[in-house]
Amino acid sequence: MDGTATVTKGEPAGGSTPSLAKASGSMAIATLVSRITGFGWKMVMAWLIGINVATDSFTIANTLPNIIFELLLGGVLASIVVPLLVRSQKDDDGGAEYTNRLLTVGMTGLAVGTVLAVAAAPLFTAVYVDDSTGKANPELVTAFAYLLLPEILFYGLFALLSAILQAKQVFGPTAWAPVVNNLVILATLVTYWALPGDISLDPVRMGDPKLLVLGIGTTLGIVVQAVVLLPALRRTGFKFRWTWGIDARLREFGGLALWILGYVAISQVGMVITQRVLTVAAAGGVSIYSNAWLLFQLPYGVIGVSLLTAILPRMSKAAADGDTQRLVDDLSTGSRLSAVMLVPISAVLTIIGAALGVALFGAGEADIEQAQRLGHALAFSAFGLLPYALVMLQLRVFYAMKDARTPTLIMIVMTVVKIPLLYMCGALVRPDQVVVGVLLVNSLTFVVGAVLGQMWLWVRLGNLHSKKIVKVIAVCVLAGGVGGGAAWGLGLLLPEVDSLVTAWVNVVVLGPVACLVAFGVLVALKVPELKPATSRITRLVRRG
Amino acid sequence: MTTRRTEYPAGAPGEGAAGAQARPGFLVPGSAVGDGRYRLLAEFGFDERVNAHLWRAQDNQLRRDVGLTLLVGDPADAKAAGAARKMLERTMHAARITHPGTSRVLDVLGPGNGIGPTEGLLGIVVADWSQGTDLVDVIAEHPLPPSTAARLLEPLAAAVELAHHSGMVLGVDHPQRVRVTPDGVLRLSFPGPLPEATLQDDVRGLGAILYLLLTGKWPLRSAPGLPHAPLAADGQVIPPRALFPYIPYELSSAAVRSLTDDATGGIRTSSGLLKVLERARLNEDATQSIAAIADDTEDEVDEDGAVWTTRRPHNDRTKRRKLAIGVTALAVATVGVLAWVGMQLISFFGDDAPSAGGPTVVATAPGNAENNPKPPNPGQPIQAAGVQVFNVKGTPDSPRRANRAVDGDPKTSWKTDKYQQPFPALKPGVGIMAAFAEPVPFAEVVIDSPSAGTVVEIRTAPSEKPGLDETKVIGKATLQAGQNRLQLDRAEPTQHLLIWITTLGDGNVSEITEIGFVRAQ
Repeated sequence: MDGTATVTKGEPAGGSTPSLAKASGSMAIATLVSRITGFGWKMVMAWLIGINVATDSFTIANTLPNIIFELLLGGVLASIVVPLLVRSQKDDDGGAEYTNRLLTVGMTGLAVGTVLAVAAAPLFTAVYVDDSTGKANPELVTAFAYLLLPEILFYGLFALLSAILQAKQVFGPTAWAPVVNNLVILATLVTYWALPGDISLDPVRMGDPKLLVLGIGTTLGIVVQAVVLLPALRRTGFKFRWTWGIDARLREFGGLALWILGYVAISQVGMVITQRVLTVAAAGGVSIYSNAWLLFQLPYGVIGVSLLTAILPRMSKAAADGDTQRLVDDLSTGSRLSAVMLVPISAVLTIIGAALGVALFGAGEADIEQAQRLGHALAFSAFGLLPYALVMLQLRVFYAMKDARTPTLIMIVMTVVKIPLLYMCGALVRPDQVVVGVLLVNSLTFVVGAVLGQMWLWVRLGNLHSKKIVKVIAVCVLAGGVGGGAAWGLGLLLPEVDSLVTAWVNVVVLGPVACLVAFGVLVALKVPELKPATSRITRLVRRG
Repeated sequence: MTTRRTEYPAGAPGEGAAGAQARPGFLVPGSAVGDGRYRLLAEFGFDERVNAHLWRAQDNQLRRDVGLTLLVGDPADAKAAGAARKMLERTMHAARITHPGTSRVLDVLGPGNGIGPTEGLLGIVVADWSQGTDLVDVIAEHPLPPSTAARLLEPLAAAVELAHHSGMVLGVDHPQRVRVTPDGVLRLSFPGPLPEATLQDDVRGLGAILYLLLTGKWPLRSAPGLPHAPLAADGQVIPPRALFPYIPYELSSAAVRSLTDDATGGIRTSSGLLKVLERARLNEDATQSIAAIADDTEDEVDEDGAVWTTRRPHNDRTKRRKLAIGVTALAVATVGVLAWVGMQLISFFGDDAPSAGGPTVVATAPGNAENNPKPPNPGQPIQAAGVQVFNVKGTPDSPRRANRAVDGDPKTSWKTDKYQQPFPALKPGVGIMAAFAEPVPFAEVVIDSPSAGTVVEIRTAPSEKPGLDETKVIGKATLQAGQNRLQLDRAEPTQHLLIWITTLGDGNVSEITEIGFVRAQ
């Protein structure tokens, strides 16, 4: 899910306008802040409410609007509507008519979709929650879903407004709006905590004040996120008028849209099975999964994305020029840079994962056991960091070559591999550990995806310098192994992770040790890829 | 694997075919020719027919690479000097041709005209240096697929055709004069037609190169470092198709027919050959069906980046696709195994950790609550408003006596029926549903029972008579004889609480003496 979003959103920004270059620095900071605050409220939620059936139900219900929005509009919006929006700015009316039409039709469609989705909330619950063991609470999920599904409309409004603003070269508000959303949710959580009592789980009562606060507050966050863009839009001089009809230009993209939609739909099949396996196994699984997944994505989000933003525009250009050689070179460089940066981090996460889980989540209401499980899940899936980054990179290459079909096919294969493994996990692993297995399976699927992507790119483009990439990965694994081994050895001397304090001690001591040793080995082995990476980071540090 | 002589900056003397030839001592890498203007870098071939050495060199004034054809000889030898002069003249004429299939001639130097009298050279042809690979290297390991051969040769044939239109001879009859450019076409890199060369010689040269590309053997006068094409009984070279049956008839016969001199059936013009090449390429583009030769240099990494490799760009797609599917299948299988191993590991880790089953954490027996981060405050006991036997299948077990489990009298008890077979043979379980006056958050349930081994679940229920699937497990324990304190998950207010027996005690019967409920603070 997140994949499609990150992949496609950058595309329209690929155009080379000077203001973009200027804006990208502050955008990077905004993105970072929004990621951190986004992660922050998840953590606060675990502290204040715990990792249990209630947070599980909330988490599932909170992903529903996102999913439906992506299915209805998201992928298509980013890959088709926005490029057209940019193009329409050159119309005689400065794109006003196209924009009005887009807002009218898009928002009406979304409003209808939202109403239908809210009405179908129990249905979604039935799809995503498997309650055959009584360990989940579908009634609570449904209750939350009623409160959270209206977000669809505002996700849509936010997406459309930010697209319009981006087309008009206004970037700041759209980058900072998610931060506002996160702050609203944080405030909601504090209010929830301050209210007396508990959410009644059985029977679930819709009028329960705590339930209402959490649900309405979260939705309010998205509403605010969309509404803060309105003043910025007004400043651009845009005036909304109802304009019906579909722009003829939209039709050119029919086929492409279908494949992108297919990509989203297939990835949702995998998601549904994941949630069902998690809900049937043990309470808390869904929350652990979503938080571990967030943690997992953090290194990619910070390092991967910042490295790749340098390479991606070049790649798109090479693909547009039909310059296979350059495209392959950039792909190879991107892969090797990702390996050098992410493999040592994987090693670090594998070693300190458990401690990190407790350190971040083992406070307040959250059970230490559950926090530790979250950490284990992270440790067991950390090896998937590089494959994940590679899959994202390859996806970009395919889209740059205007091929929306192959990524969808790859997604199908990944899902086909994933589903039996998920069920195997449910059968083999003790229920409370299922979430660890599910994240492991997740990472393994990315390994399949990365291999598959590389192979099909090879079929398409010829020699990809794969040997060189594999060599670099092998060196990195060696370095990561040494770093991880050193930290593990040192960890034997440290107190066992059984409380917040010991967890932090472990993280603070072992993390840097593993990092330093791993990168030290890479430097000692004179890995050439390290040089641009380090220089880029030093540059980033200086800028920050 | 390919001996790549291509881009050595300072040349390796004595390497490859060219080095085997005798070479005047003054032509060594680093020495200067042409009045010091050109510095020799590496030798790329030798045309023994006119004693011409083919070198890559650097133009010292313009700082660019050039290809030099150095005609070696004694200026006093009138015959040789005359031939050289003739050759330089023809080259000068041919220099007017501009075509991707031939390197641009930059300059033509003769004695007294750019060449010093003591240099031992009769002439130098200076041409643009063409990047890429030696033709000889490309076919060194194995011949090329016919379609690739046709594709490679077409531009060169077109250049010849262009020259012939203007009545000029290009001189493409020597394999070392031709190189493969990075974009995959043949280029005459060392121009310089022989003094006696005719248009027909060019066509024959093209045929010979086609033959070479298809078979790896050279059908004309022996060229250095190349095996000569085998001859049939009649003294003619045998057709390429006889060596490699996959070569299409048309190409095979075109190569042979360009080589022969006889007027009947021979190809005498370059346009004739060009047409054949075009057809061969179009055929290939349309069908893509010509079998590929085994090629293990597929994934060879080019250390120097942009050099042409021996890999064919197109026709091995199907093979690659098959390989890709194979590798993917392998990856999937590996991942499957890894997943299994990983899950075993997870189970191992899980057993390691103090076992506590998620939020349905239950500590049986008093005082075993250290797993719980937040030992619940001792709450107040609360009395149930009423209890009933909860049964989902068959007849209820002693429904009238349910009260005895909450009457506060340890002498009275409620007992299940005595079953023939353990649950869930007859029914999934049986239990007692307690109702309360208002939703209560529970902290503990205390069960007094003599039936060790009985497994009970504590479940919250939305109503007095719910379906079993509407109830939620909040605690679970295996009873020991005596008092069992079941700590419940978290305080979740509920009005109905179910004590649900899923496994019976010894003799397939369970007895509950007393049930106490403790409210969370």
